[in-house]
Amino acid sequence: MTVLEVKQLKKSFGAIRAVDDISFSVKAGEVFTIIGPNGAGKTTTLEMIEGLVPPDQGEIKFGELNWDKHADQIKMKIGVQPQSSAMFDLLTPEENLNLFSTFYTSARPTEEILELINLTEHRNNHVKKLSGGQRQRLAIGLAMISDPEIIFLDEPTTGLDPQARRNIWDIILQLKALGKTTILTTHYMEEAEKLSDRVCIVDQGKIVTLDTPASLIEQLTQEREVHLSFIDGAEAAEQAELFMTKLESVTRTERNQASLKIWTTKPEDTLYELFKFTKENNYHVEQVSIHEMSLEDVFIAFTGKEWRD
Amino acid sequence: MNNMKQFQQMFLAQLKLTLREKQAWFWGIFFPVILMVIFMVIFSGESNEDFQAQVAVVNENQNETSDMLLSQISQMELLDIKEGTFNREDAEELVEEQEVDAAIVLPASMEETSLSLIINKENEQGATTQALSGILDKLIQQANLSAAGATQTYQLQFESVTSGTNELDYTDFLLTGMIALAIAQGGLFGMVDLVEMRRKGLIKRLRMTPAKMSIFGLSDMAMRFIFSIIQIVLLSLIGVFIFGANLYINFFSLIVVFLFGALSFNALGYFISSFSKTTEAYMGVANIVSFLMMFLSGVFFPIETMPEWIQPVSHVLPLTYFAQGLRDSMVYSTSLASSTLWIGIGIIFLWGAIAYLIGSWLYKTKSIVATR
Repeated sequence: MTVLEVKQLKKSFGAIRAVDDISFSVKAGEVFTIIGPNGAGKTTTLEMIEGLVPPDQGEIKFGELNWDKHADQIKMKIGVQPQSSAMFDLLTPEENLNLFSTFYTSARPTEEILELINLTEHRNNHVKKLSGGQRQRLAIGLAMISDPEIIFLDEPTTGLDPQARRNIWDIILQLKALGKTTILTTHYMEEAEKLSDRVCIVDQGKIVTLDTPASLIEQLTQEREVHLSFIDGAEAAEQAELFMTKLESVTRTERNQASLKIWTTKPEDTLYELFKFTKENNYHVEQVSIHEMSLEDVFIAFTGKEWRD
Repeated sequence: MNNMKQFQQMFLAQLKLTLREKQAWFWGIFFPVILMVIFMVIFSGESNEDFQAQVAVVNENQNETSDMLLSQISQMELLDIKEGTFNREDAEELVEEQEVDAAIVLPASMEETSLSLIINKENEQGATTQALSGILDKLIQQANLSAAGATQTYQLQFESVTSGTNELDYTDFLLTGMIALAIAQGGLFGMVDLVEMRRKGLIKRLRMTPAKMSIFGLSDMAMRFIFSIIQIVLLSLIGVFIFGANLYINFFSLIVVFLFGALSFNALGYFISSFSKTTEAYMGVANIVSFLMMFLSGVFFPIETMPEWIQPVSHVLPLTYFAQGLRDSMVYSTSLASSTLWIGIGIIFLWGAIAYLIGSWLYKTKSIVATR
């Protein structure tokens, strides 16, 4: 079931085309990620969908609802965590949540939200004393207080340390388990890959590509990179390299002392042949790994640009 | 139903925010109190006491004339005559050392007709000296008149007139002026919260929820009113119990003047917030406005004491009418039927309405609410 449909969205600020013809639709229960470098138009796209910025052109539909006619109904259905994570600094997390809960016709118990965002311990501290990660979790909590069907998270992990980022990933995965639809923006590729059902890569206000992370990577190339290292030293590695080059599926090899890198279009077959060879010659392999392609490689392939965090 | 609950929660939040904001307490409560105490101590402390001068009387050779003058001098309540008998040298020494304000040397013989007043050179221009010489002058004039056998034809009668039931003391004047100033500043400076909320994106955040911004504004105003009422009560208590101000309050007039004044100055603050992008910009403008009004609106001193060319400016400023309105309703117990009071309230209202309209227009057209 489609819960959100966006058609040919356009927005310019002066001479700058922030969003230039973006269309997509989001299904119930999925984590939909919009990813792109800074200034790609992610936040503007989100703010138009959230009803904050009117689009110059295009259509936004939440099922049968649209902003012109059903603003209040839409606001009841969505939860938003804006990039600025604005809240009342002199109130505690509990007081902030309680206040926000009165804005909606129905709300989840504050207790439950505090538990979910792991702030029960800090419920009585003033918000201004919270760390960046704690603030961000509270901002997500405020977005969830009304138990919305659709949650918008605008770069929830930007500027956080790895531990704090992981905490937020846990929250997003819990939301998914609850069957909520999440629309997420980020500029961390790793995050998009881990969390999303579908990824929409935008650059310069346009959608570059849109698909599941796995098929985006798959589309890219069939070639895989395999890393090996041998206990028996450089000699064994050299013998193995010689053998590998004879295989049809192997396109390239590279050796550095006892460690060997091979590129193959059929990783399973190649590994089978490799282990047969080492067994016969009584060589011992210490480490094997298949290097996976990432969304970063997808981005580079589609835009021809370096990825910059 | 739901609106009421929203209002309650928002008001509760505003109450907590105000209670936890130390700056609000300092500028809203502590600062006006200190300012009022300082002004009252400087300008009204001593001058309220009755005038009295201590004098030493030199009566070296008692005679009829000197006894007659001495008995008249002793009857004057304004003069505190130092006990003991002094010769001229003793008296001069006392004056030099400022142990007495002056010495009066009575005629040494029945025939002598002059009376001398010895004062300290340092105090020659002082009020006490002026008063003493005036008193003695009068005494001598009367003596001359009776010597000539004439009766007084003309007499000066001194009366003071006020429109109220009692005289306006400086304490009352300053107290009501300070209350007006405190409420005006609360409005002028208070709206900085709006700039701060906008800067932090909090207004934008609230607009993403179905929260009714009108209820939010209403709860904010309710909080501001309560804060102002605390200001009025506290300043009045200090004024009445520590400095002896006299208040004759017409509560109905006071409430109307207070409501219009507080709303109008908040509207002025709102107007300033509509074109200030940063807290600093807001505070700069608010400071200029508040300083101008503080000194031109008869808060500390009556407008009539200012140079004439500047008085027309005072007669335009809203704080002039707010301070006057508070004086009328708190000291003179003026009822709302008074036309001066109505005209004052009208001018205050006009300021507020215009400021609010331009402010809202600027908010809409420049749409700085939506800017990040």
